[in-house]
Amino acid sequence: MELKVAISGINAVDNPGPGIGVAKSIKEDKELNAKIIGLAYDAMEPGIYMDWIIDKAYIMPYPSGGYEAYIERLYYIKQTYGLDFVMPVLDAELPIYIKYQQELERNGIKTFLPSLEQFKLRGKDKLEEIAKNIGIDSPKSEVVSSYEELTKAIEKIGLPIMVKGAFYKAYRAYTFQEATSYFNKIVAEWGYPVIVQQVVKGEEMNVVAAGDGEGNSLGMVGIKKMWITELGKIWTGVTIKNKKMLNAAENFIKKYKWKGAFELECIVDIENDKVYLIEINPRFPAWSYFSTGVGVNIASNIIRKAFGLDIDIKDYEAGKLYVRYTDDLITDMDKFQKIIIRGEN
Amino acid sequence: MNRISQIAINDEGFLFDPLTGESFTVNQTGLEIIKGLKESKSEEEIIESLTENFEIDEETAKRDFTDFIEKLRSYKIL
Repeated sequence: MELKVAISGINAVDNPGPGIGVAKSIKEDKELNAKIIGLAYDAMEPGIYMDWIIDKAYIMPYPSGGYEAYIERLYYIKQTYGLDFVMPVLDAELPIYIKYQQELERNGIKTFLPSLEQFKLRGKDKLEEIAKNIGIDSPKSEVVSSYEELTKAIEKIGLPIMVKGAFYKAYRAYTFQEATSYFNKIVAEWGYPVIVQQVVKGEEMNVVAAGDGEGNSLGMVGIKKMWITELGKIWTGVTIKNKKMLNAAENFIKKYKWKGAFELECIVDIENDKVYLIEINPRFPAWSYFSTGVGVNIASNIIRKAFGLDIDIKDYEAGKLYVRYTDDLITDMDKFQKIIIRGEN
Repeated sequence: MNRISQIAINDEGFLFDPLTGESFTVNQTGLEIIKGLKESKSEEEIIESLTENFEIDEETAKRDFTDFIEKLRSYKIL
């Protein structure tokens, strides 16, 4: 079989999107014989030019521009090149895909995504309830949209606190002044609301996994970030086997019948045997190729499940190292011209 | 929590804890003590192996053992 799989997030820059890792994973499953279509939002996204991974690239309209233009673009891709499956990996585009997944399926484009109800579970206001239901803890949190609420939240939780944007950025504040300054910074950049969270002791650890929508896992790997960039992105990491955290991920899949990829961000306090749930991302993280590299190809299992093929769920070893690196690519200017003028390469 | 039982060690003194992802390096004396602890050897047995393998007197071995145990405790490994 030959599958045409579209993947977004091919912006392999200093704040990398998850697309290239997912594309590499799918390419590595030779049985799928997949042609990868890169969905880009800018002609400068490096994935467009990485033709050993991305076979064909298209510029997409922004999802915020409305459903019609976005979905029409996907239909255009299907008609002109062929498109069997779309794997969206960016937060901003998930709602549109989730909302129209049935319509896409009717038109011959498969997806493998959570339902809208499941998607809402990732909201920060649900964290406490989910953590409890999957057998772990969560830090005390308050969602704030004004100075008054910020003050109240700080009084309730106590300093130091984490001041976080709804989707991006997190700062640790030791004083009220610091908290206010970070609050303003986040609001200026990302808008309301802002999340104020208790600082919990421990090490940040993460799980990448996927559920099949029926309560079964399509593979999971636990990691610890050893070295991160200024933007908080992993540069070096190591696989770990923290049972409590991995059990929580299993429970999440089982209890909520989660469909598709997800990432759990946790803080693990070994001394007191506590795992705190910090965030649920309803998509692949940018480091998801780490799991493929240690033998757990979650992205290929998702495609396999979607097309009714055999699934291979493997275990992994603790102590495998992940090292990200930068690279250079030299190509012809006409590739850039084509993508600018035609919107595809 | 006793993490020592699950820690992976190699002959060069590199320790890796699969639960936390932490890694440590120890010298040959530390390695001898860790190996002893992992094999559930008693304090006396470990001290005896130190005096034999490193040609030191019992008092020095005892002191090194106690120091190292404290170090492990401070890293929450013991």
